[in-house]
Amino acid sequence: MPDFKGEIRKRLTELSLSPTREGEIVEELSQHLEDQFEQAVQGGATEQEAYQAVLRELNENELLAPALKRVERRVPPNPVVMGKAGKTNMIGDFWQDLRYGLRMLMRSPGFTIVAVVALALGIGANSAIFSVVNTVLLRPLPYKNPDALMTVWEDATHMGFPYNTPSPANFIDWREQNTVFEGMAAMAQRSFNLTGAGEPERFDGRKVSGNLFTILGVEPVLGRNFLAEEDKPGSRVVILSYGVWQRRFGGDTGIIGRALTLNGESYTVVGVMPAAVDLPSMDNWHDQLWVPIAFTAEEASSRGNHYLEVIARTKPGVSRQQAQAEMTTIAARLERQYPEENTRVGIRVRQLHEQLVGDIKPALLVLLGAVAFVLLIACANVANLLLARAAVRQKEIALRLALGASRSRLTRQFLTESVLLAGLGGVCGLLFAYVGLNVLKTFIPPSISQAQAIGMDGKVLIFTGLISLVTGLIFGLAPATQASNFGLSETLKEGGRDSSAGSRGNRIRGVLVVSEVAVSFLLLIGAGLLINSFLHLRKLDPGYRADHLLTMKVSLPETKYPDKERRAPFFRELIRRVQTLPGVESVAVASNLPLTYNGDSMPIGAEGRPDPPPDQSPDVILRVVSPGYFRTMGIPLVQGRDFTENDSPEAAKVVVISEKTARYFWPGQNPIGKRLKPGSTTSESPWREVIGIVKDVRQNDFVAEPKMQMYMAHEQVGSFAANAVVVRTQVDPLSLGTAVRKVVWEIDKDQPVSDIRSMEEIVSSAVARQRFSTMLLGIFATLALVLAAVGIYGVMSYSVAQRTREIGIRMALGAQRSDVLRMTVGQGLRLVVMGVAIGLAAAFVLTRVMASLLFGVSATDPLTFIIISLVLMTVALVASYIPALRATKVDPMVALHYQ
Amino acid sequence: MASAILDRELKKGSAELLILSLVGDRPRHGYEIGQLIEMRSGGVLHFNVASLYPLLYRLEKRGWIRGRWVEKSGQRRRRYYRLTPAGKKTLEAQRDGWREFVTAINQITGIQHA
Repeated sequence: MPDFKGEIRKRLTELSLSPTREGEIVEELSQHLEDQFEQAVQGGATEQEAYQAVLRELNENELLAPALKRVERRVPPNPVVMGKAGKTNMIGDFWQDLRYGLRMLMRSPGFTIVAVVALALGIGANSAIFSVVNTVLLRPLPYKNPDALMTVWEDATHMGFPYNTPSPANFIDWREQNTVFEGMAAMAQRSFNLTGAGEPERFDGRKVSGNLFTILGVEPVLGRNFLAEEDKPGSRVVILSYGVWQRRFGGDTGIIGRALTLNGESYTVVGVMPAAVDLPSMDNWHDQLWVPIAFTAEEASSRGNHYLEVIARTKPGVSRQQAQAEMTTIAARLERQYPEENTRVGIRVRQLHEQLVGDIKPALLVLLGAVAFVLLIACANVANLLLARAAVRQKEIALRLALGASRSRLTRQFLTESVLLAGLGGVCGLLFAYVGLNVLKTFIPPSISQAQAIGMDGKVLIFTGLISLVTGLIFGLAPATQASNFGLSETLKEGGRDSSAGSRGNRIRGVLVVSEVAVSFLLLIGAGLLINSFLHLRKLDPGYRADHLLTMKVSLPETKYPDKERRAPFFRELIRRVQTLPGVESVAVASNLPLTYNGDSMPIGAEGRPDPPPDQSPDVILRVVSPGYFRTMGIPLVQGRDFTENDSPEAAKVVVISEKTARYFWPGQNPIGKRLKPGSTTSESPWREVIGIVKDVRQNDFVAEPKMQMYMAHEQVGSFAANAVVVRTQVDPLSLGTAVRKVVWEIDKDQPVSDIRSMEEIVSSAVARQRFSTMLLGIFATLALVLAAVGIYGVMSYSVAQRTREIGIRMALGAQRSDVLRMTVGQGLRLVVMGVAIGLAAAFVLTRVMASLLFGVSATDPLTFIIISLVLMTVALVASYIPALRATKVDPMVALHYQ
Repeated sequence: MASAILDRELKKGSAELLILSLVGDRPRHGYEIGQLIEMRSGGVLHFNVASLYPLLYRLEKRGWIRGRWVEKSGQRRRRYYRLTPAGKKTLEAQRDGWREFVTAINQITGIQHA
């Protein structure tokens, strides 16, 4: 048989058809000619004659090419994404890939939407948390050269206070003796009652050294800074915060020079600070105004009264370490000079930024890690989807390879597609992040520095762009390498549907599922540990009953109520009137309520017990309370009696102590009737008789073990005024807030009332940070679990679909449904168990970074590990059971025909 | 000579109708179509390779017929063409048109079938 193919092909060259089309035409036409040839030979012609006849037919009028030309489409000279192994044009190729990728994505909208949503969730979570990290941890403080700003503390670690507030005399010595700081400023928290202009209001504020704002390097938005001569007793000037200026004074620029009555004295407004000024504070203290600290001679010589916070700026070129070294020398000198107060007291220099963010940093870093893991899982899911799609596109890939596309060119095409997908995910993710951030902001503990400034900026956009790019490269890598590695000839063969890429693809898919499970296991463990800690926290016995308690601050100004003689009648009247309000069970006042104040602690001397050396006498927290305080708060009286009206200033001085104090000072004895005094046994305070013992209360810190405490009757103490009112109610406590405030104003119309809160709110905000990190990690872990479940489900469905034929054969040969179920579920479970095993190993190592966030649980808490393993296995089981169930419904006949 | 003119002129107008009719009852491959045209016309009509296949491809492109490679045991694969629903409509329309045309010609030329 002569070969007609060459003849036909010769006539087609001018058409430049696509190689496949040309192949088809050549095949079809050559068959025709061969048939004619055979017929001619059978009809008696010689082979030569027959060949000539057939060729004549082909050549008649040279019609073939022109006729075909009208019908057949030519291949464009630069075929779309054909790719050539030779010279490449990076930019041109890229645009081509991009257009092609976009078309491919639009062609399968279901796939595109699922992938983009998964990516958007992952990327969005990252952008949101990064926005928080960016604002809180990375953004420099809004001060001039913020790295040089330090906080300086007394180091009384031996008493449990590594960062203790210094006394004025110590501060003045530090300031005069150091050579490393450009300037050093002291601050003291103080509240101010504004009266005489509308409703009385209580402001958080600080007394500050005149040079504080110069050290920080902030200029007022209005008016001026304090002058050096204003930092002297008797000067009455005030600088307002931006917030107060806007809210209370409507941003009135005429405020400068106006007189305000603060704590009963007239102060002149000299300036307004920008909104960004946010100084460190222990509690929920947000400065609303500042006045000069102006030490009196008496204050300046006080070495035992610790209440200052100190901010300093190092001289150019001086590092924190150098500053620390010199301050340590100064501390040693002061220790020799004033052993009474300074024995074993050092000095700590800490970066201001560190001071502001130190506590939240571990939590934020853990969260950042968590969202990175969520994104990894999303990547794995999308990679899975792409792999499944790549299997569908095998023909296309094979064809392109056959037509001369280089494998690297194909890989690049695939990567472009996945980066495009990630880009779409990134854009949607930004949207998610924006919405999420606004929700997040309502949960961010207000004590976190710059919490209100949290938002998105250029850095967040760049970050999102980068992670989108990296994400696209990560999840695109598996399909891309697979696409360029598979057997060309098998795929091109007609009927080569399940090519060798299948087994390789399955292996990659298996690896992806295992890593998804491992990573989500890690996250779930992290969340589980935090939730466990949080439950522990909530179960802690605070020492009182927080329900049905209304609290508020009523701090009487010293000018109007300078001594206890004038304060006592106010509170007596307040208690009497509030007591009669409907819904009130009992009412009391106290210097400070639990979890609202960290100060007022002192060593004590116990009668008949030698005083320990000054550095070894433990501090006892003092709270000054009215009779009925313990009953109102629900603090159980263990022994002895409560204060009564008879514990008046004239009566014998008495004290109630906590169980811990009793155990420490009088172990194994009955402390009732014993005597103690603040300071030491030799101090000038009068002796006080112990009349009662109450349960320990978590006074300063909800999480730490309670410290020793004592209570004194408020009318028997001159120097500690009552500040807080607490009411036990029969109804919703907050519903009585207005009524109680009205009572205060009936007694003194100028007396501000602030911080009207329920005790439950106070407890709840004491664990706000823990709740914040627990909630977020919980959300991310759930997200991870859902994504992982979807991933497992997807892989199992795909694998079942691929094995339909095999399952059909098995069932045709007599396999039971249960066998099939066991086989498919077993396959899924094997992957999950591997994932859990890897996750378990990683968790043992990685959860240790969370140790500082945990409370009452170890980082390797077995119960959490077991429960999480079970949860994950169950979810995985369900996710692989559903496709498995489908597998058992396969009709063997259908399956055998299945291609 | 007459047959050559007839061949060319008629083929132009009728080729589509011929092919559509031939694949109307069952799928056929190109060679078979060519053979059938020649046989049934008693050798008057003949399509050579160079004109038959471009025609087939054109009909396929218009969506009137559809070619498909079919493998039968012991044979090499062949491309079989079948009539599509669109092709069926076209066929019917062209048949009607042809019938009217022939009737009209006949009436004018006075040629009578026996």
